[in-house]
Amino acid sequence: MTSIDVRNLTKEYAGRPPKRAVDGLTFSVEPGRVTGFLGPNGAGKSTTMRLVLGLDRPSSGTATVGGRPYTALAEPLRTVGALLDAQAAHGSRTARNHLRALAASHRIPDRRVDEVLAGTGLAGAARRRVRTFSLGMRQRLGIAAALLGDPAVLLLDEPANGLDPEGIVWIRELLRGLAAEGRTVFVSSHLMNETALFADHLVVLGRGRLLADVPMREFIDAHSHARVRVRTGDPVRLRATLLAEGWVVGEGADEAGRWVVEGASAEEIGAVTAREGIPVFELADERASLEQAYLALTSEEAEHAAAPRPRSASLEA
Amino acid sequence: MPFTAVVRSEWIKISSVRASSGSLLAVFVVALALNLALYVSVGGPEPDGAGDPVFRALFQTNYAQLAAISFGATAVSSEYLNGALRNSLAAVPRRGLLYAAKAAVTGGAALVVGLVTSFTTFFAGQAFAGEYAIGIGEPGALRGCFGAGMYLALMALLAFGLTFLLRSAVATLSILTPALLMLPFVIGDVAAGAADYLPDRAGRQILHQDPVGQVGPWAGLGVAALWTAAALLAGWWAMRRRDA
Repeated sequence: MTSIDVRNLTKEYAGRPPKRAVDGLTFSVEPGRVTGFLGPNGAGKSTTMRLVLGLDRPSSGTATVGGRPYTALAEPLRTVGALLDAQAAHGSRTARNHLRALAASHRIPDRRVDEVLAGTGLAGAARRRVRTFSLGMRQRLGIAAALLGDPAVLLLDEPANGLDPEGIVWIRELLRGLAAEGRTVFVSSHLMNETALFADHLVVLGRGRLLADVPMREFIDAHSHARVRVRTGDPVRLRATLLAEGWVVGEGADEAGRWVVEGASAEEIGAVTAREGIPVFELADERASLEQAYLALTSEEAEHAAAPRPRSASLEA
Repeated sequence: MPFTAVVRSEWIKISSVRASSGSLLAVFVVALALNLALYVSVGGPEPDGAGDPVFRALFQTNYAQLAAISFGATAVSSEYLNGALRNSLAAVPRRGLLYAAKAAVTGGAALVVGLVTSFTTFFAGQAFAGEYAIGIGEPGALRGCFGAGMYLALMALLAFGLTFLLRSAVATLSILTPALLMLPFVIGDVAAGAADYLPDRAGRQILHQDPVGQVGPWAGLGVAALWTAAALLAGWWAMRRRDA
């Protein structure tokens, strides 16, 4: 299968001081799942994608697709479909001609051009100039271009940008479908909650460095505190029992009558209430959102970076 | 990836952008319009039959060359709009292949349109030239027509190379237009010999039946070709080493 492999990838731009847009990155993007590529603007996501596509030259390290550098692929569009910038299509070309020009270099027939236009909902706009397109339509055109060669690998930079709610649902299902077909799907985004809806795996960047390369579920669990919400018919006894057993319980119930227990799982609290015979109407783990987990990670990183280096062994103890 | 497939792709790109296809068409339209306007109204640029007879018939090449350099410049500059070059290089990552195919399409299209322009305007103008009309059999006339077409293609490619270097059609045109229109006069006053070797001055020697100056018609076209080759190399050097 075709994976994207990034090894010790570094891209430094000249200047005083030189700026490291990408700093010693190593990760792999595997087929059969959607990998979200997260990080704030300026974290190096787009630079990494350009390096994978051979558009920029790395200062050191390598990026390969299926074990080969992108520039060594004989017909790259048949292996990798990329969406980098939806604005890149020339405004005075029609959507169809934009795709035909790309297709011609790979001897992809015009029939396939019409297919991807239909598949991205642009069949009706095929002969309109790109200048007249909304940002969402340009985004769809960029995705159509990525799909032209029926590639095993998709590399999409912020594909949901500018899409309307219907378009966002569409792209989410498209990405999940492509991964289900066994393709490698690598999608960058700075929108956490959006990414949470389609990604299985996450690669997280911060200031050019790799912060995490984990399954999404694991990422959220690792960077969020366990917490349970419980609604009961006997709040006084519940609170007293839990406090007596050493749990941290909130001062009051929320507007729906639910009490919050910090650092607990539903299994633990469920066992306590069953043993004590306290009636429970509702009991649920509260999962942090991807956004909360991400912010927790980045604030950990910021503390790490801000902490002064210890000057002696005694300070470390 | 075969060269012909990339050439086809480049042809679709150039012919589907108005700025490029329009300026290519303008080579023909500008030359024919000027030519007919002068010949029909007053019988040609030199109605009394003065000057070089072949140059009289091909003078419109001077104006068509501005459209030719616009064509060469816009064929490239559309790649530098909003990062379009990234799309192109994602499809054709071998930069030499992309550059060569684009140059072949630009040069080829300019040559075909240049030749059609030179022959059409030659015959159209001479049909109205009256007693001073010359035929294609006139010494230097056939050479002049072929030379004019080739000269227009060379000018388009000169702009092509420069635009890859400068990444902007505006920059290219603001260098080339004054350079082609004014520099020969400026340098000509200072060092008469050197001006003969400027690309336009040398290249247009072939438009004359009996060119004056140090370089002959074909040698002059060769000098222009060297300038174009230098611009193409400079453009290639820039495109090969830059991040896209």
